[in-house]
Amino acid sequence: MVLKLYGTPYAFGATAVVAMVLLEKHIPFEFVLVDLKTGAHKTREFRERHPFGNVPCIEDDGFIVYESRAIARYLADKYADQDHGPRLIPVPTKVQERAVFEQGASVENVNFFPSVLKVIQEKFEKPLHGETTDEVALAGYIAELSKVLSVYDDILSKQRFMGGDEFSLVDIFHVGTGPGLALGGIDVMISTGPNVARWWNDVISRPSWVKLQAEGIKSSV
Amino acid sequence: MVLKLYAGTRAAGGGGLVALVLAEKQIPFELVVTDLSARQHKTPEFLAMHPFGQIPVIDDDGFILYESRAICRYLADKYADQGPPLYPRGPKERALVEQAASVESANFFSPVMQIFRELILKPARGLEKDQSVVDAGVTDLSAKLDVYEVILSKTKYLAGDEFTLADLFHLMAAPRLAEGGVDIMTASTRPNVARWWNDVITRPAWVKLRAEGIKEIN
Repeated sequence: MVLKLYGTPYAFGATAVVAMVLLEKHIPFEFVLVDLKTGAHKTREFRERHPFGNVPCIEDDGFIVYESRAIARYLADKYADQDHGPRLIPVPTKVQERAVFEQGASVENVNFFPSVLKVIQEKFEKPLHGETTDEVALAGYIAELSKVLSVYDDILSKQRFMGGDEFSLVDIFHVGTGPGLALGGIDVMISTGPNVARWWNDVISRPSWVKLQAEGIKSSV
Repeated sequence: MVLKLYAGTRAAGGGGLVALVLAEKQIPFELVVTDLSARQHKTPEFLAMHPFGQIPVIDDDGFILYESRAICRYLADKYADQGPPLYPRGPKERALVEQAASVESANFFSPVMQIFRELILKPARGLEKDQSVVDAGVTDLSAKLDVYEVILSKTKYLAGDEFTLADLFHLMAAPRLAEGGVDIMTASTRPNVARWWNDVITRPAWVKLRAEGIKEIN
């Protein structure tokens, strides 16, 4: 049975992270739209798949996984063979490489994500709910994010990507949030430092991401 | 060369998690006490190891690693055949651990820290707690624990019937909630959560760590 991806259809957010992994790994999938506006993610039926009532989740021949970063690792671990595009994650037996990968994953999760989320909430989500952006607060959040990205610039002066020298899931984890900033005229992803700019341009020019931005998330079968 | 752990001496925060994995697996290590109040984590030498200037960091015979959750995964992978199996290798089994670990960092840790900051950190600095922030944190955490209750009605631990890193990561800050008078983890209204939490916090390695602090293993 073809893998099912449940989530939102845009090149934004956690569903987009999983969609990019599916495209990079050439994994066929059926996309099932979950309309958050109608509360489709909070129904009892949906919660049987994802008890926290969030998106995305996948169903792989009856095996259900939720949390985008867990889904991504599962897909990359399961489809580790040559026919499925770039590895995207070191095998568990390559302990040091996998550790450097997990270090980068934790940096995204603990340092980048909370910081970029504050910017996104202030700049984009508040207006969606009829509130005004507090420009002073926003400037503060952008400054915090810039501080994190300055450290990224240091890290990326020593390794090519955020999970090591190979492009990996750790880089993909950033596409759920990073690309949206430019739409609001916030250019920190390329203005903070030369290494971050080089890395970010590498990530967003991947054909899988270009396709998602152009077409949104669609079933591949 | 024996593994070096750069951390504080107490079984708290990320250093506590790493010390627990070292203890569970009986991995020999040397403790390099890093005094945050003396800003030892912000020296150029330290920043060369950890560019964000945080503890813990390990130096495993020249291999340097930071981020406690990454260090725990590394140790569990490297010493997979020693001590309890904290981090299974098969894609499906590992996916369930990663799913529960992601829930911990995305859903659990944030409200726990919100409560912890008000009830423990602020009074320690002579600041007044904001009860409305505590209440909001407790409401948020309660909603998440209602889901944990459902999950733990089906399995003994968060990723299945074995104790794994996913359960262990919850020890980052939550054990101290009870100190602040918040008994949410052992409330009788959620019997499965209470059963699981009591199981986790009575693990001998954790009890010893809390009582004695981080002690080198030779």
